[in-house]
Amino acid sequence: MKYQICTNCIMDTSDPSIKFDSKGVCDYCNNFKKNIFPQWQTDTAGEKKLLKIAEGIRLEGKGKDFDCIIGLSGGLDSSYCTYITKEIMGLRPLLFHVDAGWNTDHAVKNIEKLVDGLGLDLYTEVINWEEMKDLQVSFLKAQIPDVDLPQDIAFFSTLYQFARKNGIKYVITGGNYSTECCKEPEEWGGYGCIDKLLITDIHSKYGEKPLKSFPVVDVFKSRILYKLFYGFRVLNPLNFVPFVKADAENKLNQLFGWEKFTHKHHESRFTRFYEDYWLPRKFGFEKRRAHFSSLIMTGQMTREDAITRISKPELDEHFLKQEFRYVANKLGLSVEELEQIFGGTNRTYKDYKNNRKMIDFGANIFRFLGLEKRSFR
Amino acid sequence: MLYPRIIPCLLVKNKGLVKTVKFREPKYVGDPINAVRIFNEKKVDELIVLDIDATEQDREPDYRMIENLAIECRMPLCYGGGIKTFEQASNIFSLGVEKIAVSSSAVNNPQLISQISAQVGSQSMVVVLDVKKSFSGYDIYISNGRKKVNRNLIEFVVELQELGIGELVINSIDIDGVMKGYDLYLVELLRKIVRVPLTIMGGAGSLTDIGALINRFGIIGAAAGSLFVFKGKYKAVLINYPTSREKELLIAENALFL
Amino acid sequence: MIAIVDYGVGNIRAFANIYSSLGISFKIASKLSDFDSVTKIILPGVGAFDYAMSRLHLSGLRDKLNELVLERKMPVLGVCVGMQMLARSSEEGTLSGLGWIDGEVKKFDSSLLNQGLNIPHMGWNNIVLSKYNKITKDLETAPRFYFLHSYYFCCSCADDVVAITEYGDKFASVVNSDNVYGIQCHPEKSHNNGITLLKNFWEL
Repeated sequence: MKYQICTNCIMDTSDPSIKFDSKGVCDYCNNFKKNIFPQWQTDTAGEKKLLKIAEGIRLEGKGKDFDCIIGLSGGLDSSYCTYITKEIMGLRPLLFHVDAGWNTDHAVKNIEKLVDGLGLDLYTEVINWEEMKDLQVSFLKAQIPDVDLPQDIAFFSTLYQFARKNGIKYVITGGNYSTECCKEPEEWGGYGCIDKLLITDIHSKYGEKPLKSFPVVDVFKSRILYKLFYGFRVLNPLNFVPFVKADAENKLNQLFGWEKFTHKHHESRFTRFYEDYWLPRKFGFEKRRAHFSSLIMTGQMTREDAITRISKPELDEHFLKQEFRYVANKLGLSVEELEQIFGGTNRTYKDYKNNRKMIDFGANIFRFLGLEKRSFR
Repeated sequence: MLYPRIIPCLLVKNKGLVKTVKFREPKYVGDPINAVRIFNEKKVDELIVLDIDATEQDREPDYRMIENLAIECRMPLCYGGGIKTFEQASNIFSLGVEKIAVSSSAVNNPQLISQISAQVGSQSMVVVLDVKKSFSGYDIYISNGRKKVNRNLIEFVVELQELGIGELVINSIDIDGVMKGYDLYLVELLRKIVRVPLTIMGGAGSLTDIGALINRFGIIGAAAGSLFVFKGKYKAVLINYPTSREKELLIAENALFL
Repeated sequence: MIAIVDYGVGNIRAFANIYSSLGISFKIASKLSDFDSVTKIILPGVGAFDYAMSRLHLSGLRDKLNELVLERKMPVLGVCVGMQMLARSSEEGTLSGLGWIDGEVKKFDSSLLNQGLNIPHMGWNNIVLSKYNKITKDLETAPRFYFLHSYYFCCSCADDVVAITEYGDKFASVVNSDNVYGIQCHPEKSHNNGITLLKNFWEL
């Protein structure tokens, strides 16, 4: 495919499925204009909707210790979402943090400040590091771009299991259009769901330790068991209120001493390394393209600034080199071993056993039955 | 002016960090390397890492883990667990560790203490004594609080000082993980005869407890495990440590010697 | 390039880790050929004075170091016992020191115990600057460093004292005479203050 970059945002042909219209505008921008923007209300109408939902959650949660659960990483989205849930929605969230072994002190401090500042209760779940390490190394050795799946699986599964155990069915997340309306294409390492078959196949080929305590709530369990039977509901309050990145960062800083990160997902040291080094240099995918494009579409960043920023990594070369060493060490690999994996031939999830066809089929049925919204792509 | 030391203490079991209550029910709290890294970023005064099953399993210290921990520390690191010979101590020092701690070896092979002190200097030779309240005072225990040692605590401490230790760490088994304050009476007892730096561990539940310790004893080492690893009433695992400002305030409010 | 002298004593790795993280080139120097193209020297040291001096002698590097430091005037930083070795002698042992800075090493008096102070001097204490020195630039006023020692340096010449620390009495915690520097505490284990000082040494 000949190289082309959108004339409005900065998504380009490194996304193999991208389409452009006659003006050179990509389908992400057009989708935003046509499908997202018209129904995205963050004014009084949006707040009214949010408060109505909040009332419902509050009533259902009466008599319980908590009425909802929030997975808190210390990053901007989950932190601001926590603030909105308590102060605007007036709910009593249980704050839940999953320690997968890659916390930065920055993230931990932010969590502490929110917990103290908002007077909320915190639970944490610590993933068994030996198992986590083994699964992460397996995914690296599998040569697929979806190398951060183990962390995603751990965060999602633990949260759902914990919520279920404590009788909470409202899961509040920091997902939002403002900074995420341009969703990273699946080819960029974002395998869209938890596929137990894929995980098992990769682990059986490259893993060395049995996964005894590692939590896996796969997509079938979460969509059928948790959503249909247990009645789990997911809410994204940040889509109902004005959420401008810079303003939100300032507010959290003023109110709680919360400190912002250089970039999205930097609260996990592994994810920071993965997005700023591994994914771009091994696979040629820059997730920042999608992140910055979202900010362009929502008027928070100019295209010129985005192009300047994406021309170099977020972290300097010397730091990245040290991070490479740190990640290798932490995963129990020598630098040479990690370099060898890095230099291996790239693959995709299609090279492994997976339930993709069945998952897509199930999703189509759900949409047909009106049980799930249509998502772009 | 020299400040009292506030020291996180981490227990390692099966390569993972654990927290105990009265030396029982080890609860997994995560990866040691990440914890040490975060403590380093928090600029802690120094760190103690104890491998609690190395001696029991009669195995070598985990040199790879120790090396990985030492790399992360821009503050002194004290390692203990499974050290029985001079060679092992020597290996550990060469990995970048400032102090080594012995517990069972202090009881079973006290000559090791003199041997290490003579070569590396007594300042790097730490003894950790686990004690439990008894009818007549305190008893010393080894093997993770399971085996009582038939020695008088005070006499034994005097002997250890003569052998050439650089620091004494006293660990209260009864109040380990209980988080309701240090055993100040125990410190009072030992303070009279201990001439080397003294560090107390076990029972700290808040910065106020550390403040109370400093208030009464001035220059002392205040070690804690649970306090710096748990947050809130549900004991959520979240590494924490006072900021330098909080530390200055704590010491200013309590250190009457300043 | 900085040479971190490896004569079997001292936390070589800690220095290496810091210089590595700063992107400053260094070499762990244990034999004569390691000193080619070296421009600065770090002399670490922990433990007993005599043990450290005898190890230095056994390493075969003593003459080379004398040549680099005394004749070629190469900057050298002695750390902890490495600083004590710069003296002529120490109360701790019987061997002579390097004699690169005029002074003697003495033991902390046991009368400290009466003041509630233990030996060794262990923990974070301030260094208070007596005068400006390039090695202590950009540090806050009375910065804190980690100390771990039972003996201290007594300078014959007051002018060689760069900073003092109080422990019972006051003692010289940082010394400098010409190209020879000594620091009693552990900059390699004193967080940001230590990193700044080690960076300053490189920038001399």
